[in-house]
Amino acid sequence: MIKNYLKIFFIFLTVTAQAPLDLVIDTNERDIEIQPGISGTKIVLFGATPTGKRDIIIEVVGPPKNQTMQEKNRYFGFWLGRGKSYYKNVPSYYNLLSSKPLDEITNQEGLNKLGLGIEHLPLGKADIKYSTIKQSEFDQRLRSEMFKNGQFFEKQGNIILRSGPGKVGLFKTEFSLPPNSLQGKYFVRYFLFQNGEAISYAESTIDLKQAGFARLIWLFANNFALLYGIIAIILSGLLGWVVSLIFSRYKLT
Amino acid sequence: MELYLPIAEISINPSIFLILGMSVGILSGMFGVGGGFLMTPLLVLLGIPPAVAVASEANHIVGSSLSGTIGHLKRKAVDIKLGNLLLIGGIIGSFIGIGIFNSLIKIGLVDLLITLTYFFFLTGVGSFMLYESLDSLGYLKKKKRKKTYHHSWIMGLPFRMRFKKSGLYISIIPPLLVGFVVGILASIMGVGGGFIMIPAMIYIIRMPTSVVIGTSLYQIIFVTAIVTLLHAFHNQTVDVILALILLLGGAIGAQIGVKLSSKLEGPYLRVALGVLVLSVGIVMASDLLIRPEETITLIRGGGSH
Repeated sequence: MIKNYLKIFFIFLTVTAQAPLDLVIDTNERDIEIQPGISGTKIVLFGATPTGKRDIIIEVVGPPKNQTMQEKNRYFGFWLGRGKSYYKNVPSYYNLLSSKPLDEITNQEGLNKLGLGIEHLPLGKADIKYSTIKQSEFDQRLRSEMFKNGQFFEKQGNIILRSGPGKVGLFKTEFSLPPNSLQGKYFVRYFLFQNGEAISYAESTIDLKQAGFARLIWLFANNFALLYGIIAIILSGLLGWVVSLIFSRYKLT
Repeated sequence: MELYLPIAEISINPSIFLILGMSVGILSGMFGVGGGFLMTPLLVLLGIPPAVAVASEANHIVGSSLSGTIGHLKRKAVDIKLGNLLLIGGIIGSFIGIGIFNSLIKIGLVDLLITLTYFFFLTGVGSFMLYESLDSLGYLKKKKRKKTYHHSWIMGLPFRMRFKKSGLYISIIPPLLVGFVVGILASIMGVGGGFIMIPAMIYIIRMPTSVVIGTSLYQIIFVTAIVTLLHAFHNQTVDVILALILLLGGAIGAQIGVKLSSKLEGPYLRVALGVLVLSVGIVMASDLLIRPEETITLIRGGGSH
């Protein structure tokens, strides 16, 4: 988390030193309520920037979640996962969108400095237990598993740039949040690049909430845990009893 | 149709889970096992975080074992007196098991222990049951079978009590002890322990197979209710929606299972349960013995520290 704040601070420093803020942004959604059972939510991002040799990179970072990686080793002939790497606050969702392939916008060093892209996204210091493997190796596997699971995305070159009236350039892009996205704040960060340098930065947030009944159950389970447990047991017992009643009523058994 | 699970925080297709609940329910009603040892790995395979899978599964078994117990009660195949003794031992054992569990977490050996206990008990119990039941059916006639009655020391124990339903006049110490040991193992493995309890009831306490199933289910209701409460209170991992979907299938399945169990004779029932337990053990063994494709993997839903 701290690393992320530092990152933003750093960006502001570099940005303000070179140019006034010249990035205007907006989105079609600010607060999203996902209805249970609806698959995916499409979000449109758009904005304006002066025309010229400019490129845009947008990253969307979902609410943090703790993750654990395990390392399997052979003990007495059995493959068992004792070694662990515990990560705090890994983004549950990450998407990088850009107006061109990344290597045409800036170099690896530039991406790394800003933590842009799946390969460079800061994961924080992991707590490694019972393993001699370096964190970089765990990190690499975590990144690829998150990509494989459909939680980390990179869509290079899908920001559309258009020239508007006068010297204004318009850009537009869209992405989808998968149906199983965590609720919470999604940070959308816009970076304007010129000649390989980030010259401007802007940020907005999207608040994702699970709407309706599912949300109520979640709140209940977390705020009245004991009562929730008792009700869960009663409901389960009741349903089991009713089913057996129905069966004996109609002499099914 | 998709349904959002509030605690597991994923969307699922309810029909798959209904069918899954029903299949495990049939086994539960038939064999008197809760089915946790089968259901939990399957739920994880379907994308439910392991912690939520274990807790919601316990919640589901409360209802399905109640449904099964009622079915067996109608057939007068539940020994409540003996069940209560097992239960008392089981509750004491599970508290001690949780203590062991927590101290193992501290030295990072808990996963190893869970996996190995699972593996040894599934394969051990499964092959023993299979061997014994085939033997009693007369399929294994290589050597002369020694008929073993109660060991003399079990017969000699004090505090004897009459258990009418089981037709036994035995000391209360073996049932308490069996409940106790199963309680320890069950809380370490995070299951109800039916698949260990059943063979113990048959081979150690020597209850008739017809009463074993109902009695096992009877005590599982209470064990899983306690487990559900503990998980709901400490970890907030009980997904009541998931549990109820599984249960709707499971309760129906349990009734079908009860009907099937009364049609099958004791030894055949034990052959079937032995095969089932052993095959789960073998699947686990292959996972343990074959070199994994990737040695470093993400633990799905393993957010806790």
